[in-house]
Amino acid sequence: MKEKFARWHTLFFLYVKRDWKKIIIWILGVGLFSAGFVPAFVEIGKGQGIAAMYETLKNPAMIAMVGPTPAESAQDYTLGAMYAHEMLLFCGLIAMIISALHVVSHTRKEEDLGVTELLRSFQIGRQANSLAVMAEVFLINVILAGFITGVMVSFGADTITAEGSLLFGASIGFAGVLGAAIALVMSQLIPVSSGATGSALGIIGLLYIIRAGTDISNVSLSMLNPFGWTYLTYPFTENNWHLLGFILLFSILLVVIAFALEGARDMGAGYLPVREGRAHAKKSLLSVRGLFIKINKGVIIGWSIAFVLMGASYGSIYGDMQAFLSSNEMMKQMFTHAGTTIEESFTATITMVMMGLVAILPIAVVNKLYAEEHRLHLSQLFATKVSRSQFYWTTIILAIVTGVVGTVLASGSLGATAISTIGDSDTMGFSEFLTAGFNFLPSVLFFIGLAAMALGWAPKLGKLVYIYLVYSFLLNYFSNILDLPEWLFKTAVQSWIPQMPMEEFDALIFFTLTIISIALLFIGHIGYRRRDLT
Amino acid sequence: MTEIVKIQGVQKRFGKVPALRNVNFTVNAGEVVGFIGPNGAGKSTTIRILLGIIQRDAGHAEIFGKDVWKDSLEIHRRISYVPGDVTLWGNLTGGEIIDLFLQLHGGGDKKRRDYLINRFELDPKKKAKGYSKGNRQKVALIAALSVDSDLYIFDEPTSGLDPLMEAIFQEEVEKLKKAGKSILLSSHILSEVERLADKVVIIRQGEIVETGTLDELRHLTRSTVTVVTKGDVSEIGEMNGVYDFQQKDNQATFSVDHKHFDSILLKASQLGVKRFEAVPPTLEDMFMRHYEG
Repeated sequence: MKEKFARWHTLFFLYVKRDWKKIIIWILGVGLFSAGFVPAFVEIGKGQGIAAMYETLKNPAMIAMVGPTPAESAQDYTLGAMYAHEMLLFCGLIAMIISALHVVSHTRKEEDLGVTELLRSFQIGRQANSLAVMAEVFLINVILAGFITGVMVSFGADTITAEGSLLFGASIGFAGVLGAAIALVMSQLIPVSSGATGSALGIIGLLYIIRAGTDISNVSLSMLNPFGWTYLTYPFTENNWHLLGFILLFSILLVVIAFALEGARDMGAGYLPVREGRAHAKKSLLSVRGLFIKINKGVIIGWSIAFVLMGASYGSIYGDMQAFLSSNEMMKQMFTHAGTTIEESFTATITMVMMGLVAILPIAVVNKLYAEEHRLHLSQLFATKVSRSQFYWTTIILAIVTGVVGTVLASGSLGATAISTIGDSDTMGFSEFLTAGFNFLPSVLFFIGLAAMALGWAPKLGKLVYIYLVYSFLLNYFSNILDLPEWLFKTAVQSWIPQMPMEEFDALIFFTLTIISIALLFIGHIGYRRRDLT
Repeated sequence: MTEIVKIQGVQKRFGKVPALRNVNFTVNAGEVVGFIGPNGAGKSTTIRILLGIIQRDAGHAEIFGKDVWKDSLEIHRRISYVPGDVTLWGNLTGGEIIDLFLQLHGGGDKKRRDYLINRFELDPKKKAKGYSKGNRQKVALIAALSVDSDLYIFDEPTSGLDPLMEAIFQEEVEKLKKAGKSILLSSHILSEVERLADKVVIIRQGEIVETGTLDELRHLTRSTVTVVTKGDVSEIGEMNGVYDFQQKDNQATFSVDHKHFDSILLKASQLGVKRFEAVPPTLEDMFMRHYEG
């Protein structure tokens, strides 16, 4: 037993040394994001702010995004309760994702690269690496939890108690540990790092969406969801410390499973069957387009499934909405007053959220061209008669197609499940869902345009497009919650687009944004034709 | 002689594909064994099994008399390994990685390290992501050669190195050989194997097809003979044990089974020898015969 983990601590210290910059950015970034909004919330909460927010967040669309609150009335809804309600779920999600990415990058990724092989020729136990990574992630999340607690307490805000702050920070830290454990299992199952990353994130995403449904229909069902144990701790109100024990036990269980799986497999192997490939290329592969489809196939299929699941799970919520309204007189009045239905309002918000995610796939497709170039996969192709323009436009068109298909899948499955759960469907038609989705297509095009600009002129900046996407996604996500100045809000491209079907279609904005995006594509093309290839 | 490495009847499958069918060979103390075979024959798989990185399906494999899977850590204390395709962490420098490897191995001689860094002309201050393939290879070589081990396992160690560096590597290996170390050298550079190896093991499709010293192997094959005679040389072409006979006037070139050398020489002297040259087969010739099957 001891042999398996021999000298794990050496690897542990190596990782801390190798990663210290990343660790600092990680802890500062996630920590400040999680804890730093206390003053902003104090502002929001002044006067009738808290009560108004309480009502806003009873909207099912908001519950789907930020989760429920245990507060029974606006009087119980303290500043602390509001902060935990709006921030905890999302911050936990971020901590999970980052931890999961980190674990895969130090386990399956290193195995892919071949570093593991060299390491194992030394007196290092076969499983020492996994233990070292888990210890590192655990340490990082413990520090993160402490940092968040410290920052929150330091504001000295009313009702932000020390106990609540500690639980808030610990919930985020434990969410990170859970994400890491999930990723460790997937790293054993799937023999390529990109697949391990994708499946780990997929599982986290699925747990998140499932909890959106159960939060609205029946919160007690969310308690069966490991993701639920992170935000249902309800810091500052109920302080359910015992849920952290669940996470810890569940994570230990996952880690034990992962160790067993790792111990029973060969280095470099996984548990998914490896099929024999074909000896000759299919005709569909034999073109630039065919090749690009093939190398993007995994990502495209993975995300397409994600879009369908996302749409379907949000769509399943529609059935509960009328019941939800009839139990809540205040909300009913609010919607009657605004002149829209609860379904329309929900569709508008969820579509905006979903379209932010739909944009990831086309960006990934565009960035893939540089990734392939950078790994020198294309060196031999650059020496053929295939022109640069062909590489460029094939990629761009593929990206646009995936954007359109993603929109259809997400909005379509949202609409289909929504209509089937509502039953008598005079409230909203299927085409309204699709229209709402396609209304945001210019924003997807805009992201493709940005990625194309990066590809053409400064390919190393391609990753920044994701960062801008995350930034604008967060702005949209929190737009209803935080009281942001209009100009700041407008830095997110989606904010220009009216939210159908709650708001009216705006042709001017739709076409202007489309034209700007197409212009970006052409500017990117000029750069791509001129720049040095690697 | 003590057997340092002993492999018997080792088999390994990857899914349904048999990678190793039946691998048997030994490396004795102080011996340099060349391990050769075509791509995909199972060289690296065998080496990984020896390192306890992957688990064999059947057979015995021992190093220093210990089981390679169960006692791998014990074994790793006394061996050094260089893979053919070295990948390193991009954000550490070559010098840092070498020090790390020395520490992971346990021990290692700082003076020797500096001597080798100097000999291989490696810039240890550069980050690994800036290294070419050859330079990454040097990092692994320096780390492996800086420690005092009893067995050195090299899996195509010179791939990517320039001829000068290759020569330096060979010199260093010769020093190890003189110091009585055991070495398992897998390589495609046959001149390298020919120069260093006491014994050659040839693997094909997961099976050992030939084992022996170079001399022994040579006896199994044919030499190339060129002869110029006064009489009609074509008579030789009709004899037993002569192959690939080519004639130009009174000059003939052909290959001969070694056991027929005597009769050929007799015949040639009857015809009156003007010139006689016999070239023993190079490892390359033998190798090609096995590769082509």
